[in-house]
Amino acid sequence: MNLQFNEDQLDALREFMNVSIGAATASMASLLDAFGTMHIPKIDICNSNELGAKIQESIDMRSMYFVSKQLFTGKFGGECMFVISEDSSMNLGRYLYGIENPSFDEINDAVIELTNILTSTIVSRLTEELSTQVQFFVPSLQFLDSASIVDEEDVVEYSKIIIISTILDFKDQQIVGNIYILTKDEAIESLKVLIDKKIEEIYG
Amino acid sequence: MKVLIVDDSKIARMGVIKSLKEVHPNAELIQATNGLEAVEFYKQERPDVVFLDLTMPVMDGYEALKRIREIDKDAQVIVVSADIQSEAKLRVLVAGAKNMYPKPINVDIMVQIFEHDLLL
Repeated sequence: MNLQFNEDQLDALREFMNVSIGAATASMASLLDAFGTMHIPKIDICNSNELGAKIQESIDMRSMYFVSKQLFTGKFGGECMFVISEDSSMNLGRYLYGIENPSFDEINDAVIELTNILTSTIVSRLTEELSTQVQFFVPSLQFLDSASIVDEEDVVEYSKIIIISTILDFKDQQIVGNIYILTKDEAIESLKVLIDKKIEEIYG
Repeated sequence: MKVLIVDDSKIARMGVIKSLKEVHPNAELIQATNGLEAVEFYKQERPDVVFLDLTMPVMDGYEALKRIREIDKDAQVIVVSADIQSEAKLRVLVAGAKNMYPKPINVDIMVQIFEHDLLL
C-alpha cells in the first residue's frame, strides 16, 4: 500500500484543511465574539509509534491538557483531536461564563461546547471539500498530562498515521488550542483517491 | 488585462484561474506564492487586478495589501480567503481591498467581482 502523498496531493489537502479551519475559526469567533488568527495547517505522515512525540513537539510539556477526541467513519475516516491547555481552558471558561473563577465542571462544559463546534465544523467542511460524507461518533473528553495525550494501544495496529494540525489562536483572550486530524492506513488510501478526484476537477 | 493571483497553494491558484478564464479567457496571468513575491511582482508588472489570499508564509495578505496600496493607492485588490470572520473582512476593507470572498470562488462570484467590485 502506497501511503505517500505527492506534492499536488499535499498542497490540495493543506488547502482543504485551510478552508475547514477558516470555517471553524469563524464559528469560534462568533461564540467568543472575538477575532482569531489563522495559522497555516501542517501535514505530517509518521509511523504510529512516533505519534506521541510528534504531538509533544507542538505543546508545552509542563501543562495539563483537556483532550477531546471524536471518531468519524466513511470513505474518509479518522479521529479529530482538540488539545487545549489548562490555562487556555480556564480563560475560555472565564470568557464564556463571564466569571473570574469557573469551576472544573464549568470549564469541562465550555471545552465540550467548543470542541463540538470545532470538530463538527472542521470535519464537515473538509468532507464537503472532498465531496464525501462521514458519520460522527460521540466525542470523549479527558484531562491529561502531556505524556498521556496519545494512548499507544489505540494506534499500535496502524502502520502510518497522517497528522493534519493547526493552532487555533485567540490572542486577546489568551485561548490557544491545537487541532489534529488523525487518519490511518486504508483511510489514507481513500483520502488520496478523493483528493485526486478534486485535483482532476480543478486542474481539468 | 493583467491579473496577479497570490496564494501559497497551487490548487487554490488554479481554482481562481479556472473561474477567471471563464469570465476573461484572454487575461494575462501572473502567479505569486506569498505576500513578498506579490509586492515585488506588483512593482514590476502593475497588474490591473490582484486576487490575494491572507494566510501565507513569508508575508501574509494583510501586510501585502498594505504594501501594494502604498505602491499604488488605486490598486484593485480582491481578497479570497478561508478566513470568513467578519473582522477579517472589515480589516481588509479598511486597508483598501475592493471586496473579500470566502474560498473557493466560483464563476458566479467571479462575474460579480468584475461587474460590481472592480473599477476597470
